[in-house]
Amino acid sequence: MSAQFFWLLPTAGDGRYADAQQRIRGERTTDDAYFLPGVTDPRDRNFNYFDYLHQVARAVELAHFDGIEIRNDPEGEESWIVAGYVSRASRNLTVLTEFDASRGSAVYAAKNAVSFQRFTGGRFAWKVTVQPNAAARRRQGDFVEEEGLYPRIDEFVTVARNVITTTGYDFNGRFFQVLQGGFQGPLSGQKVPPVYFSGSDEAALKLSARLADVHVFNALPLEDVRLLAGRLEQYAAQAGRQVDFGLRIDVLARESEEEAVFDARRYAEQSGQGTQLQHAGLWAGLTTSTTGADATLVGSYEQVIAQLAAYATAGVNHFSLGAVPSLEEAYRVGENVLPGLRHLINSANQRAA
Amino acid sequence: MTIDVFWRIPTHGEPSSLRNKLHHRGDWSQQHGDHVVHKGLSGGHDDGFTNLDYIAEVARAAEISGFQGGLIPSFPMTDEPWAISSFLARETSTFRFMIAFQPGFLNPVVAARMTASLQRATGGRALYNVITGGGGPAQLWWGDVAPHDDRYARTTEFLDILRGVWKGGEFSYQGKFYQVENAALPVQLLGQDFPEIYFSGSSDAALASASKHADYYLSWLEPFDQLRDKFDRVKERTAALGRKIKCAVRVDIIARRTEEEAWREVRRGFENLDGAARERYKRFAEQAGDSVGASRQRGNAPKELNDYRDFIIHPNVWSGLSLLRGGQTQGIVGSYEQVAERLDDLVRLGADAFILASTPHLEEAYRVGEEVLPLVRGHDSTATLRAVG
Ligand SMILES: Cc1cc2nc3c(=O)[nH]c(=O)nc-3n(C[C@H](O)[C@H](O)[C@H](O)COP(=O)(O)O)c2cc1C
Repeated sequence: MSAQFFWLLPTAGDGRYADAQQRIRGERTTDDAYFLPGVTDPRDRNFNYFDYLHQVARAVELAHFDGIEIRNDPEGEESWIVAGYVSRASRNLTVLTEFDASRGSAVYAAKNAVSFQRFTGGRFAWKVTVQPNAAARRRQGDFVEEEGLYPRIDEFVTVARNVITTTGYDFNGRFFQVLQGGFQGPLSGQKVPPVYFSGSDEAALKLSARLADVHVFNALPLEDVRLLAGRLEQYAAQAGRQVDFGLRIDVLARESEEEAVFDARRYAEQSGQGTQLQHAGLWAGLTTSTTGADATLVGSYEQVIAQLAAYATAGVNHFSLGAVPSLEEAYRVGENVLPGLRHLINSANQRAA
Repeated sequence: MTIDVFWRIPTHGEPSSLRNKLHHRGDWSQQHGDHVVHKGLSGGHDDGFTNLDYIAEVARAAEISGFQGGLIPSFPMTDEPWAISSFLARETSTFRFMIAFQPGFLNPVVAARMTASLQRATGGRALYNVITGGGGPAQLWWGDVAPHDDRYARTTEFLDILRGVWKGGEFSYQGKFYQVENAALPVQLLGQDFPEIYFSGSSDAALASASKHADYYLSWLEPFDQLRDKFDRVKERTAALGRKIKCAVRVDIIARRTEEEAWREVRRGFENLDGAARERYKRFAEQAGDSVGASRQRGNAPKELNDYRDFIIHPNVWSGLSLLRGGQTQGIVGSYEQVAERLDDLVRLGADAFILASTPHLEEAYRVGEEVLPLVRGHDSTATLRAVG
């Protein structure tokens, strides 16, 4: 399969160029006039953040990404509602929707997924997350102990897959039960949403080896990705499976390295982050509050292309990129990074073949 | 106080007439037995459209024709209302999405965030039909093992939490089914209208939950006297809690220019019933779950299928509708004027809102909006009718 490129949709707000402050773009949040009294403002309260999210989703498709990743941010809009909202606005994008297995019944999630597949022609995919912080879990009404988090995901995905693919399905687990489950007629035979899972500890790798279609590394340095990917490959082989590798990473790409570094420093300063240049353009400390990646690739278009292509040689074939502001950067990356990157990866693959 | 009228969204495809089920929209077709998968919207080949494209047509027909919005049901074989609502948020303008769902299937904190986001996506057009499940095999199919009265207790807790989180600030709750600690909605999701709650269920446990949380108590059509008693009971129980509740009736209608034409639809459908449908009718009683509402409906049905007129239980009320399509049994059949009069009768016995439906939902949304709704007086019995046409 050729490499897939997704763009991150920030559900809790976005920033602006040269201004790191988090904003609910497109939305008036106070009654204060936004323009000076000498200028009429026709907007009233007619728009909100959903109008902006819709624009980003259109941009992602027009800029020729393959998919959109909808972040599950407890401080933002709910990801499944956003997913439905933007799905109808796109023709070909894969809609990778992030959520936590604490959201409710696995059968109900599967049933909603089936409708998503029916309405999109099979473009829906799942990224299942865990909330490692116990207090944060309890805020979400989730009192499962840490020890139960992966077993719950295991059951959740197992039940969902089986009710989508079979009928007369029985399951009696610790978290979920079903009797004679499965979908009939047009709800049957729908595509199981590909399951993406993330995490770098042993338990996460082992869970992915058993369950995931794609294991996503969160902005790790290349050597770490090589190492963990090798381990995961081994675990998956033991389970008689194959797992694809994904990389979730932010990019700050500019025409020149100098501009990129300037913008990266300013962003770090404005958002109060001490950053150290870890190596070769990967700024480990540079993160945004809205996109959720653990690090940012900083450099010229050529540099960023080269670095991402290097990840591809380590076996990564799903890239979820993000940047602030999401709308403008979707076009920038789509126009200046993706074409060269696709070309480089494809020709490397052809040489290898 | 004026009457709110909703339409219903067919989430299971639909035949193009009640007379027979052969021509079917959406990819559910009974042409070759039950539930054969067909590609595309009209069957046969993949035309690139999905059932959602038809549903979108119905939703727009409903808003254009003067309905508040539509009830979107939730059954094992139907497309899901949360999905439908989020997909169609931008494609409709005034249509209100009445989402049927069983609270037990969702984490209430997630549900609060889903709802607030949907309100933001639609400009406040989301509302609920809170259902609590009919028990039996279907309940286990959903993965729900809770017995009848526990399910209603769970529904109550769910709505407690939803309201608590909605208010803003940090909310904690210690229930039998749910716990939360310091739950809060994101700041930008606060301040949305809380969804209006229509509540379904006829049992005592249902009334206890409804009287605490519902804005509208929703019932299928039942014999008129029985319905009056039920509405009175609900209102009494709610008043005892110092709250007010309104009542709503969910009913299918078959309205034509003349009464004779309306009954002809019923007769044709009845005469076209095949052996399988007759067999299903006999077996129906044996498959019952624990739904009190459903047995209240069944209690009125004749044992044998001889003549469609055996199912007329009240002027213009036919109790055989579940023979012609899935779902509840009693519907109003008559001329435009008669149907409007029966709706006014229901207003007089306590209804404040209606969820109407008729097959096929697209064309019938126009017919009912154009011909029947302009004849309904509601509480204003002095209203003089405008000439229609
Ligand atoms: C107007 C109305 C609409 C309903 N819609 C649904 C539905 O969409 N899905 C469903 O599973 N049950 C639906 N039900 C059934 C309820 O979930 C519940 O099973 C029924 O009201 C029985 O509860 P009871 O025992 O309290 O009467 C509906 C009931 C009513 C009255």
